[in-house]
Amino acid sequence: MTETFATDAKLLVDKHVEFIQNLDKKQDRLEYWMTEHLRVSGIYWGLVALFLLRRPHALDHEQIISYVLSCQNADGGFGGHTNHDSHLLYTMSSVQILAMLNALDRVDGLRVTKYVLSLQTKSPMTTVCGDKWGEHDTRFAFIALAILSFFNTQDQLDVNGVVEYVRGAMNYDGGFGSKPGGESHAAQVYTSVAALALAGRLDIVDRDRLSSWLAERQLPCGGLNGRPQKLEDVCYAWWVGSALDILQRRHWIQANKLANFVLSAQDEKGGIADRPGDVADVYHTCFGIAGLALVRYPGLEEVDPVYCMPRSVVERLGLDKWQSNVPESWSQQQAY
Amino acid sequence: MHGIRRRQEREPTQDELQQAKQRVDRYRALNSHIMDLKAKSVFTKDSLDATKRLLEQNTELHTVWNYRRTIFTSLDEWQSQDARQQMLDGELKFLLDIITKNIKSYWMWNHRMWALSSLPRPEWQRELALVAKLLALDARNYHGWDYRRFVVAQLKDAATDKHAVDIQEFAFTTEQINHDCANHSAWHNRSKLLPEILAQRDEDGQLQALQAENDLILNAIYTDPDDQNAWLYYDWLLDIQKSDADRCRLLRNKIAMIRELLELEEDSKRPLIELVSAYAELERLQSGSVLETEKKECLETLRRLEGIDPYRVGRYTDMSRTLSKQWALAA
Repeated sequence: MTETFATDAKLLVDKHVEFIQNLDKKQDRLEYWMTEHLRVSGIYWGLVALFLLRRPHALDHEQIISYVLSCQNADGGFGGHTNHDSHLLYTMSSVQILAMLNALDRVDGLRVTKYVLSLQTKSPMTTVCGDKWGEHDTRFAFIALAILSFFNTQDQLDVNGVVEYVRGAMNYDGGFGSKPGGESHAAQVYTSVAALALAGRLDIVDRDRLSSWLAERQLPCGGLNGRPQKLEDVCYAWWVGSALDILQRRHWIQANKLANFVLSAQDEKGGIADRPGDVADVYHTCFGIAGLALVRYPGLEEVDPVYCMPRSVVERLGLDKWQSNVPESWSQQQAY
Repeated sequence: MHGIRRRQEREPTQDELQQAKQRVDRYRALNSHIMDLKAKSVFTKDSLDATKRLLEQNTELHTVWNYRRTIFTSLDEWQSQDARQQMLDGELKFLLDIITKNIKSYWMWNHRMWALSSLPRPEWQRELALVAKLLALDARNYHGWDYRRFVVAQLKDAATDKHAVDIQEFAFTTEQINHDCANHSAWHNRSKLLPEILAQRDEDGQLQALQAENDLILNAIYTDPDDQNAWLYYDWLLDIQKSDADRCRLLRNKIAMIRELLELEEDSKRPLIELVSAYAELERLQSGSVLETEKKECLETLRRLEGIDPYRVGRYTDMSRTLSKQWALAA
């Protein structure tokens, strides 16, 4: 069933494309240099937005591929910028960029796999660290599974161990925290549910309890927050929306109200901010547009709720197989 | 970037442009200098100092934090326990100085944990007091609570009486809740400690503890019947009961309590949805225990909720369909 949208504002496609194209031109701004350490992720966010806006060639692909490859280090991982230390966050963005640009063959999958596996730890429990300095988090559990899926090397990871780690991060409200013991937060819910989808263990999720916790994220203004009592923020259109999509409960929030909220956070000069009236940035532009794509806002490419990449790319790579891991009983309860 | 308001920007003056350029040039020069030192594996007091100056300006440079740690461990002083203690005490002070710059910086918190884990004589109690101060300023701070759990785990590790640490922490959450029963972060932490507390008690002690818990959460519900988290915690208390009989008894109490609340305000969303889920759960545990009239009331309540809370209409219609099928009633 297609959603009908009675939205007050329009999506300023051309303005957002321009905004993304101009990001690399702001070299007179201190902020450009102070965010150099996550440049690769910035490019990923911009590219996802462009692909979903159906303007994938608005940035030079070959230039991006060269740059991303220059971020790979001797250990096989990628840093956020050339000569920056490897970290799973930037390895993930790099691999996602190469996947979207059909350039995964430009990198040695076994080298990247080796890097990811080197971050697996058994102490204090089986899990995956973000880098060699030992921080663990459900984000990294998800990223490890996702990166390895690109190279079909998932079975070299202790998937069961990682699944138990994610299970340990589940709380009484059905949500997931950053690690076992951590408070539920929508972004960690997304990474945990996406990790379980990749591992084929969505049976662990308390679907009803979590779906209702996620549905309660929608505030009267139509926007979503990340946990109770907190402010609405455009990026939760993705973190909450994607989790609901995987749980097949997208209809438990109001799509048109959410769309209106995201659209109202647009800067008329281009880009989307965290909420109306704030300064736009590429991160919120990405997740605002991805959030709109999730609720099937017209004119956008479909987005995969696990990978946050265009569905066409995920299908081309054969990575949509996580969908067959969704418990059968879930799809029997479709509203439409 | 979060929460930065747009302002009407006029064209900058020549002076302002010059100043901005100088700031950029200075920052870039320091950054390049440090990356150059790093590439050459320069591990000296000078390179340490350079990294400090850069990190003061930008706490998010995880590569520079990594480099800083490598410098520390490469210095000769690192081998002496006393010198190491002094260096890291200084590091903790430095981190405290910059904590207000970006209290949500993962990298900064990671570095603090590294410093404490590397200290010959870490003062975990002092860290506990520090994070308590932080939480007093922002009771829901995610990083603060994660850090607190890290510190408590260390205290427990070093303690001869580990259970005493759990009890102390449990008391901390009680204090937080008594101060503000809507502090979800405190309730969450409590939910992780309660099973440990119960495990150390005998059967009578467990019953006592659960009863006390019941009273505490009911107080929160009566204080704000709209607080979704209080109801979730209450449901969790039901989950951890020992028997279905106990659960059914508590569900009946829950229903009675909800009816009291609805007498005060009949269109109250949360009590209404909790009424339906209580009956649904009761019927699931004990088939036939819910009357036909009560089942019909549930379906009628779900219809009312579609009007009271239209954003969640998808959930209510799903529940109607599921329950009417389960109970063989017309939706």
